[in-house]
Amino acid sequence: MSEREKNFPALRERLRSECERIIAQYEQKRSALLPLMHLFQAHEGFVSPQAMQAAAEMLDITPAEVEGTVSFYTLLYPRPVGKYMLQVCRGLACSINGAEDVMASFRERLGIGHMQTTDDGLFSYEEVECLAACDRATCMQVNLEFAYDVTPQKIDGMLDAMRAGSYAVAPMAQTESPERTWAIPQDAQVAGGKKSQGARGVPRPDNAGGVGDPSGVIMLDNIVSRDVKFFTGTNERAIVDSRAVVETVEEEGARAGH
Amino acid sequence: MPVTKVLMEGIGEVDMRGIDAYRERGGYKQWERVVRELAPVDVLNLAEKSGLRGRGGAGFPTGRKWSFLPKDRAPRYLVCNCDEAEPGTFKDHMLLEDVPHLVLEGMLIGAYAIASHHAFIYIRGEFKRGYEIFCAALDQARAAGFVGKNLFGSGFDIDITVHRGAGAYICGEETAMLNSLEGKRGEPRLKPPFPAVEGLYQKPTIVNNVETLAYLVPILERGAEWFAAVGTERSKGYKIVSVSGHVQRPGNYEIPLGTTVREIIDLAGGLRSGRSLMAVQPGGGSSACIFEEHLDLPYDYESMVKAGSMLGSGAFVVFDDTTDFVKAAYNLVRFFAHESCGQCTPCREGGSWMERVLDRLVHRRGVPGDYEMLLRVSGAITGLNLCPLGDSIEPFLKSVMLRFPEAFKSRIAELQQCHPELVTPSGVEGRGAA
Repeated sequence: MSEREKNFPALRERLRSECERIIAQYEQKRSALLPLMHLFQAHEGFVSPQAMQAAAEMLDITPAEVEGTVSFYTLLYPRPVGKYMLQVCRGLACSINGAEDVMASFRERLGIGHMQTTDDGLFSYEEVECLAACDRATCMQVNLEFAYDVTPQKIDGMLDAMRAGSYAVAPMAQTESPERTWAIPQDAQVAGGKKSQGARGVPRPDNAGGVGDPSGVIMLDNIVSRDVKFFTGTNERAIVDSRAVVETVEEEGARAGH
Repeated sequence: MPVTKVLMEGIGEVDMRGIDAYRERGGYKQWERVVRELAPVDVLNLAEKSGLRGRGGAGFPTGRKWSFLPKDRAPRYLVCNCDEAEPGTFKDHMLLEDVPHLVLEGMLIGAYAIASHHAFIYIRGEFKRGYEIFCAALDQARAAGFVGKNLFGSGFDIDITVHRGAGAYICGEETAMLNSLEGKRGEPRLKPPFPAVEGLYQKPTIVNNVETLAYLVPILERGAEWFAAVGTERSKGYKIVSVSGHVQRPGNYEIPLGTTVREIIDLAGGLRSGRSLMAVQPGGGSSACIFEEHLDLPYDYESMVKAGSMLGSGAFVVFDDTTDFVKAAYNLVRFFAHESCGQCTPCREGGSWMERVLDRLVHRRGVPGDYEMLLRVSGAITGLNLCPLGDSIEPFLKSVMLRFPEAFKSRIAELQQCHPELVTPSGVEGRGAA
């Protein structure tokens, strides 16, 4: 049992009245789920299995319902993260005003990529969707506090201040050492009910894709035209839409007497 | 052109986060007047007469939305939508952080108008600072007797709950927001029933945007006629436009609806010197681009629709000739693919596939037929989903693909070059001789 797990009952006890106050705000208890998860994450640095279990007990729902809900939301971290969560906006307005350079600089300075944590457990890095500060591009958040007008030139100063503990934003709680990423692996995500990863294929560094890509990525047009070929034995259409496939298959079926 | 300031009055000049500063400027006077002197139906009539339409994106007339509530059912809820995440929009973020009491007063008036005794504000998870500022404002308003029981001795009770999201664009869709508020995954519901009939906890519920509710305060103060006197025939009043992209002074600008597109660009300082305008996305990431020939159109709900786009949330992104529209299209399609909740197959799979087709175009590894396929697939996604997210993939993409076809087609590599192993004498393996 980890130190964090040993400390959990005491933490839960300490937060009891705050949890009760939160739950009392709603006509139905389950509404308190996100606020409770924010609260526990603020103390543990991520949403731990124990926190989810505690929420399930407090809200009279199953742990599966808690996990199924928590896994929907990107700001609830399912595994430990760094003390500084750096989230750079990759939205359109930022990306046409320098965000790509900022992201490249962060990756280079930190030596990590999207949704990864440095080996010393200090920094986690993520490229996130529009943060609603497009007039101050490039914008980012450090532990959910905004930093505006970020340029590659400002990055060293920011990171140095965080390393020295003098940055304006406090570090997050960290009760367990983070691994390389806080993302749950793809197969586990599918099993846990996260949105379908079926179309995502196998990522490659150069994101090539394309017909017959050796990375194993199967393209939509390829599947569809192969199906037609398989059922009809013809090779006449390069790309067909799904309706045409269904019609062709039905015709073929009727002809074959099915 | 003159700068208008209604909701934005004092922002950037005075710190209005404290209740005293807000009250010095007349704050909560309208709330007190509403409770003491007006019936809920009076407020509803005022809203209808003012012509106020939803400022969150759909532009639905506010008074009419309220009138859909069944007369005889209680409790009923008001939910203030502060889950601002439409790419390019940053007005609610500003209102929440700079004038939290104005937002709160608008919420109180809105709740009163629909006879709700419990209102919620759903604040985007990323707005942690805004959340803290709003909570502090709410505490002050409670202490001052503007929120609570038997307000001003009238017998009217109201409670407000502040609820923070946790990172999901889709929760800005009203039924997804209600599910999220119920502690569930933020997946949109099948409609009907609409929230006005079956919303939060299956009770009648109205969801209104932050800006919409905030405008109730000046409408109460200066009258419905004042608001309806500006704007165009069916787009009345003022609107905050979030201008960003390639302009010299990006920021929020409050305008009378009907101000021209050109005037809005000028308000934001115009283009950078030596640059020329390529496109404007006038209503957030979900909207189609408009172009040079649309510059003198009035910026209102109808004109934007007529131009093939929409006014949306008022996110106004300007693109000059340095823009790579293939990258821009990839950026937005990736956004929608990432934010799809995954319930509806066309949106979930279609968005994801299109993201990858665009990705290979960005990397100049497109294959013949990609251009046509993108147009066809994006069209096939539209209209087949529970909520508008899937339908939002097509507008920007299609508008720039039709306008700048060469930008896309030039990214299609010769097949021989990118996949020589697939080229056979009779055509291409698996694809037929296209």
